[in-house]
Amino acid sequence: MSENNDVLNLFDPTGMLKSMRDANMDAWSKMMIQLVNTDAYGQATGTMLDGWLTSSAPFRKMIEKVMTQVLTNLNMPTRADVISLAERLANIELRLDDLEAKLDESQRAARKATAGPKTKPGTADKQP
Amino acid sequence: MGNPKLADVYAELHKIADSTRTFQRLLTTDAKIAQTPKDVIWTLNKAKLYRYVPVVPEEKRHKIPLLLVFAIMNRPHVLDLRPGHSFVEYMLKRGYDLYLLDWGAPGPEDKNLKFDDYTLEYLPRAIRKLKSVSGSDEFSMLGWCLGALIGTLYAALRPDDGLKNLVLLTAPLDFSDKTAGGFIRWTTNEAFNADKIVENLGNVPGELIDYGAKALKPVENFVGSYLNLWDNIDNPKVVESWHAMNTWVRDNIPMTGGAYRQLINELYRENRLMAGKLELRNEPVQLSKLKANVLTVIAENDHITPPCQSEGVMAKIGSQDKEVFRVRGGHIGIMAGSGAEKNTWPHIDNWLAARTD
Repeated sequence: MSENNDVLNLFDPTGMLKSMRDANMDAWSKMMIQLVNTDAYGQATGTMLDGWLTSSAPFRKMIEKVMTQVLTNLNMPTRADVISLAERLANIELRLDDLEAKLDESQRAARKATAGPKTKPGTADKQP
Repeated sequence: MGNPKLADVYAELHKIADSTRTFQRLLTTDAKIAQTPKDVIWTLNKAKLYRYVPVVPEEKRHKIPLLLVFAIMNRPHVLDLRPGHSFVEYMLKRGYDLYLLDWGAPGPEDKNLKFDDYTLEYLPRAIRKLKSVSGSDEFSMLGWCLGALIGTLYAALRPDDGLKNLVLLTAPLDFSDKTAGGFIRWTTNEAFNADKIVENLGNVPGELIDYGAKALKPVENFVGSYLNLWDNIDNPKVVESWHAMNTWVRDNIPMTGGAYRQLINELYRENRLMAGKLELRNEPVQLSKLKANVLTVIAENDHITPPCQSEGVMAKIGSQDKEVFRVRGGHIGIMAGSGAEKNTWPHIDNWLAARTD
């Protein structure tokens, strides 16, 4: 946007911003990286997060309870029902994958068995 | 408009208006990423295994297929960012039979999934399918970030499963230095309670993880990135690249509560892997049992996985053929930055090619 930063161009606000940024950005960045790498920052963020979780938990639980009641009264599946169904589907997929693995294995074994005699010298003419 | 100065002012205002529109478009739209053609060959729950459509005739391809495994809390699209600048495209052109394991976005029903499940349930099944499709009993694996952690755990627990070559990119494995970087300082602080986060939220929201990653370099990520875009808004190459990267960065996915709890408590805090005390499904993970050839790529300016978290493990693994490759750049930049095609990708290709035929 602004290539010549030496000349103050009032109609190029981004140029002014860039000049200001270039003067301060590096120092600001280093200062912030140092700040976030302190134990005090870790302590502060941990405490804030903990506070947020503690204060919001009752509301989340209340909303969940109300929603469950509403959905049950409407004869609709609740969150827990959907989660339970999804878990069952995942388990079915696992079993299907087991079956596919066994099928692959037996197909491979069958291929090996049929390919085996052909490679033996002197037996090729005996194949149908 | 006869006055040339007034015309200049008008042109400048017009240009600013255009730039503002472009800027707004870039912030609010998604670029087309991950466009290399691929087929889904296996699915399990949210996970998918893709096989990229080969571009090199079979007789000229490397014999051993390569499996890409990305982190569990990001989309893997960064490996195939955009045509002309894609690691996937690069490796396909060099004759690799390429597979990608996409873990998918976990739902509330997956909140208990742990590294045990990813390493010993999902990954071995995907590998079985890879072997079945490729017809090869051997394979190479490239893991990035937590994908590298999972790859390492798998390689140590299943050393005889056909893994020939293991490429680890910015692998967080050794957490002995509790002052190395912001993440470890925050998460090992007594005020940080991973159990409480998981108990309250189930899965850890992608936005929370993204905020944490960005907060490690707050000025660069929250201000500098956008100012840099504004400065280069007339440069189509920079704009295209920024748009693609921003599209990937914005697409956050949650991390399962079980894996998050394990990462913070057992790895970041207790450093169990390096101490030889990590167990997955009651199987002890012994790094000395890892025997695949290993290339570990370290980003010298990595603020997410500082180099010391990847280096120490090399002395503990049992592999005979192991190499550390250091690249200037950050956690993502070494693979997706403008220099990746000249530095990181050719080195990975050369290292693998020498061990793949």
